[in-house]
Amino acid sequence: MAEDLNLLSNDEFRQRWRSWLEENYPEEWRVPIILRLAGDEERRWHRMTYAAGWRAPAWPKEYGGLGLSLEKQLIMNREMERYNCARVLDSGAVLFAPALMKYGTEEQKQRYLPPILRGDELWCQGYSEPNSGSDLASLRTSAVRDGDDFVINGHKIWTTLAAHADHIFVLVRTNKDVKKQAGISFLLADMDAPGLTVRPIMNLADEDELCEVFFDNVRVPATNLVGEIDQGWTVAKSLLGDERIANGGPTLPRQSFQVLEDLIEGTGLLDDLGQTDRTATLFCDLEDLAALHSQVADAAIRGEVDNAVLGLMKVLATDLFQRISDELLRVAGEDAGLQQPVGVAGVALDLRKVYMVARPATIYAGANEVQRNIVATMLMGAAGR
Amino acid sequence: MGWRVDDELQQMLRDSARHYLGDNGGPAHFRKVRANECGFDAAAWRQMGELGWTGVLLPEAAGGSELGLDAALTLAEEFGRAISPEPFVAAAVIAATVLAASEATAASALSRDLACGARSVTLAWQEQRGSIGIPRFATHLSAGKLNGTKRHVPAWHPGTGLLVAAVDGAETIVAVVDPATAGVAARPARLTDGTIGAELEFAGVELDGDAVILRGAAADAALELALGRGTVAISAQLEGLASALWQMTVAYMQQRSQFGSRLSDFQALRHRMVDLFGEIELAGASWRRAASALTAGQDARMAIHAAKARCSQVAQDVGRWSIQYHGAFGFTDEADVGLYVHSGLRWSTWLGNPAAHRREALACHRRERGRNG
Repeated sequence: MAEDLNLLSNDEFRQRWRSWLEENYPEEWRVPIILRLAGDEERRWHRMTYAAGWRAPAWPKEYGGLGLSLEKQLIMNREMERYNCARVLDSGAVLFAPALMKYGTEEQKQRYLPPILRGDELWCQGYSEPNSGSDLASLRTSAVRDGDDFVINGHKIWTTLAAHADHIFVLVRTNKDVKKQAGISFLLADMDAPGLTVRPIMNLADEDELCEVFFDNVRVPATNLVGEIDQGWTVAKSLLGDERIANGGPTLPRQSFQVLEDLIEGTGLLDDLGQTDRTATLFCDLEDLAALHSQVADAAIRGEVDNAVLGLMKVLATDLFQRISDELLRVAGEDAGLQQPVGVAGVALDLRKVYMVARPATIYAGANEVQRNIVATMLMGAAGR
Repeated sequence: MGWRVDDELQQMLRDSARHYLGDNGGPAHFRKVRANECGFDAAAWRQMGELGWTGVLLPEAAGGSELGLDAALTLAEEFGRAISPEPFVAAAVIAATVLAASEATAASALSRDLACGARSVTLAWQEQRGSIGIPRFATHLSAGKLNGTKRHVPAWHPGTGLLVAAVDGAETIVAVVDPATAGVAARPARLTDGTIGAELEFAGVELDGDAVILRGAAADAALELALGRGTVAISAQLEGLASALWQMTVAYMQQRSQFGSRLSDFQALRHRMVDLFGEIELAGASWRRAASALTAGQDARMAIHAAKARCSQVAQDVGRWSIQYHGAFGFTDEADVGLYVHSGLRWSTWLGNPAAHRREALACHRRERGRNG
C-alpha cells in the first residue's frame, strides 16, 4: 500500500477503518468473545485485510506490514471491539513473525513471511507438554541432529488451532546435559510431515481448538532451526513478551463489559444501586487496565520494557475477564443455566459459553499463580534465599 | 520508574523534592507537626515557596514559577511519598488555579503571598458531606453581605488566605474573605493527616467592594478546573503514599523472621504484595491518563473520577495490609506505617471517596453511550 496511514489524523484513520469494517465485515462473524476464526475463515480474514491494505498493522513496512503507530493499532483494536468482531489468533503474524524478524535467516524470512501476510499459511505454537505447562523450560520433546536433518520425538499439548495450521514452531530439547533453559532449540516443522499427528481435545466451551501434537521420528531440515542451536529459550522469551502485551490487553474484558451493560439494560437494572456499585467497580477496573496497557505498550515500543508490569497485566486482564463473566451470570438469573443464548432483549449470546471461554484465560500463557511468583521474585527477590 | 517516564523538568523537580523532603518530610516531620496549631509547618511552607513549589501553577507576573500541571503532579507524588502535611493540593493546586484565573487586585495580592510561601490560601466550596465537584451553592452574596455555611474547608488555620465560592443572584462568584471579619465563625477539627479542616459559617459578613475576584462563567470555569486539577493531584499524592508504604512494608517483611523464614519468603504474602503492586500500577496509569486528558483540554471527567477512585482505594488497601504484615508492631504509634495509613484515610476520603467516584465514572460512560436508567 503506497499510502502512509500514519499520516492520517486519528479521527480520519478511525473513520476509515470503521467504514471499511461496516462495509466488509461478515455479519455471521459478529459473535464477540465466543467466536474465534479458524482455518479457512481465518485465511479469508487475512486475505480480505491484505487485499484492502489493512494486513499486519504492527509489522515494519520493509516486511510488507503497515508499520502503524501504537496509537493507531489500538484504534484498530478498539473499533473491532466496538463492532463485536470475532477473535482472531493470527499466531503467524502476531507470535511467530516478530521472532523470525529478529532471529531468522534471510532465507527463512523470504520463505515464511510473505505467505503469512497473504493469508496463505497459518501457524501454531508448539510449547506446552503434558508435564511442562507453567514450568515450560522442563520440556522433554527432543530433536537429534542426523545428517542434514533434525529428528523430533515427543508430545505437545494445548497447541491452539493445530488442526488448522500449515506449520508449527516448536520448542525442543537439543541438549540434556545443561541447565534446563540452556538446552532448548526453536525449530519449524510442516504439519503434514510424516510422523506428525494431531488430536483435537474437546473443551468446556464446546470447542476443539486445543490439540495434542505427537512427533514420532519427524524429520525437519536443519535449515529450519531459528536462532542458534540450544538458544531457543532466548527466541521464545522474546516472543513471550509480545504475547504478554497481547494477553494483557483489555479486548475481552471490554467486549464482555459491553454485553454486561446490554444485559443490565435489558433486565431493567440500570437504576439498581447494588448492581450499579458492582458494575462501577468492574468499569473502573476495565478503564484503568486500558490506561495501564496503553502506557506500558507505549513504553515497550520506546524500548522501556517493564517485565514485572507485563506479567501483572496478564493477571489483571484475565482476572477481570473472569469477574465480568461471573457478573453476567449473576445478572442473567435463571438464564445463566441455559445452553443457548439468553432470552433478554438486546443480548444474543450464550452466557455459559462466555463464562467457559473466560476459564482458561487465567491458566494459559503462564498460569496467574506462576505469573505472581515471577513478579514477586522481580519485586522482592527470590523466596527462601 | 519502569514504564513511568519523567521529562527533564520533572526529573529535576523530583530530585529536588526527594532531597528536600528527605530532610523536611517523612515520618519524623509528620510527628513533629501533627499536633501543632496550624496543622503543618509554616517554616517548611516558606522554604517550599523559595523552591518555587507553592507557586508552581501561578503566573510569573504574580511571583509564581509557572511550571505547569505535570510539574505540579510530580511534586504531589513526592508529597505523598513523604506524607507531607503541607497544603500543597489545597493551596498550591486548588486555590492557586482559582487565583490564576483572576486579574483582580485582591487575587494578585494573595497570589504573591502564596507564591513566596508567606501564607497558605484555601478555597471554601463544599456545603454537603460526600458531594463531588462543584455544587449548586446555597451560600450567597446579597446587598454586599455573605451568608451561608461551608463544610470540610481544607488546610484551615486562622492565618490562612480564604476564598469563598458562592452565588450572587444567578451568578457564581468567588470572593476573598478575611477570616477575622465579624460574622465569620470557624469550627475547626483535626484531621487524620495532621491538618485542620473547618466548618465555616458566614452570618451577614460584609465584603469590600473589590472582594469578588471572579464572577459568572469565568468563576464556573475556574472552579471546575481547580477541582479537576486538585482531584488529579490528590490522586498522584495517594499513589506516592501507597508506593512508599508498599516499599516500607516489603523492607520490613525482608528483615522480619518467623518459623525460620523471612516474612517475604511466604508465598501467600508474596502474592498479596504482588496484587497490591498491580493496584499501584493501575493507580499510576489512571491518574496519568486523567492528567493528559486535562492538559489536552479534552473532557477529562470520567478519567478523573476513575483516577480518584483507584488511587484512594489503593491507599486504603495497601494501608490495610501494611498494618497486617507489620504484625502487632504495625498497630503501635511507634511504627511509621500508622502515619501513612492515617494520612491515607484523610486523602482518600477528601474530594470524594472511592465508591462515589466509581459511580460517577460509570455515569459518565453511560451518558456518553446514551444509556439512561
